[in-house]
Amino acid sequence: MEGWVGRYGPELRRHLGRMTGNDDDAEDILQQVWVSAVEKPPDDGPGSNVRAWLYRVATNAALDSLARKRFSRRALQGIDPGAAAGDQQPPDAGFRGLDEATRARVREQCAKLPTKQREAVWLRWAEGLDYPTIAERLESSTESARANVHYGVKRLRESLLDIWEEEVER
Amino acid sequence: MKREPCRDVSEEQVLAFVIGDMDPKSSLALAEHLGECRRCRDQATEYTSLLGGLQSCSAEEAIHWHQFETPFGAMNVAATDTGLSRVSWQQPDSETFVRHLASLYPERPAIHDTERLAQTERQIHEYFAGERSRFELPVDLTRLSGFEQDVLGCVQTIPFGEVVPYSEVARRIGSPKAARAVGNALNHNPVAIVVPCHRVVRADGSLGGYGGGISYKRRLLSLEGTPSLFSD
Repeated sequence: MEGWVGRYGPELRRHLGRMTGNDDDAEDILQQVWVSAVEKPPDDGPGSNVRAWLYRVATNAALDSLARKRFSRRALQGIDPGAAAGDQQPPDAGFRGLDEATRARVREQCAKLPTKQREAVWLRWAEGLDYPTIAERLESSTESARANVHYGVKRLRESLLDIWEEEVER
Repeated sequence: MKREPCRDVSEEQVLAFVIGDMDPKSSLALAEHLGECRRCRDQATEYTSLLGGLQSCSAEEAIHWHQFETPFGAMNVAATDTGLSRVSWQQPDSETFVRHLASLYPERPAIHDTERLAQTERQIHEYFAGERSRFELPVDLTRLSGFEQDVLGCVQTIPFGEVVPYSEVARRIGSPKAARAVGNALNHNPVAIVVPCHRVVRADGSLGGYGGGISYKRRLLSLEGTPSLFSD
């Protein structure tokens, strides 16, 4: 672990700086990455790729932070002071800081997806099932379950983009 | 506002990274790319946000449905986290039923789930087989008006094999003049059979109406062995 900090720390810090555009955020996220590495250490045996693991964890944490900043804007503007507290939550609290309206919109748009996509997306992300289990539920192949999740999520983003852009303009 | 796509990386790759379906080597390259490319980073942020939104939903925020065969034909049922909210044999194909659910519950994704509705299926089968005279299922009547909820709550207390006139139901809920309104409320019963609106008849002994079709009311009453003094 000490070795990783010395070996990968500087480049991860630069990467996170580029991702977030903010040195303080980058430093905070980097500390979270080391915490994750201690709590759930990556496999560092032969053939494993610690650097890829660290980049993955760091990048996901940066995306979380960006997403929270961007999509709880209304909460931060003080319309809903209760929800703004979400921003101070520990990083592993995920999106519980997301305001209820945003959450409800995602759910509503999910409800409009075509059947297979709707079920695959919901079972994967709201219920946290793995692809083989989803395949069994949908009476399809694992590949088709995975494809339906991908198509569904892609479509969901398209429908949400319009709503988000309207909000940004407002 | 359409953004130009990135030349180096496809949206599918960004999505695969965020979803976590990418092999380590490609995911390393993509992570590095996200540091460089604003366009892909924005896209990845949007995906992260919407997946975070979905993850924060609980399974109970869906409306779960199931279809099974009964003597009345294909029976469609649906439940919220509160309880059974739909029993219907009017829409034989499940697609029509699911479309109907979507219009009733626009905020709840409709999800097929045989397990969550296994109890409902079992009890309805037992009822048709003459092995059950009382349903032990929570029902969700929250979409109905207070009056409709009162009417259906009262109807739930009518025992198997008995019938009660509309006027008597009206009297029991404290609105003795509302017999006709009681009939309308029963017509809107979303959970027929389980809430036994078929046990309410006219004071003169004739069957009255039934939202599910009068022949089904007759069949349900005869299944319950109710004396057949009720002609049309």
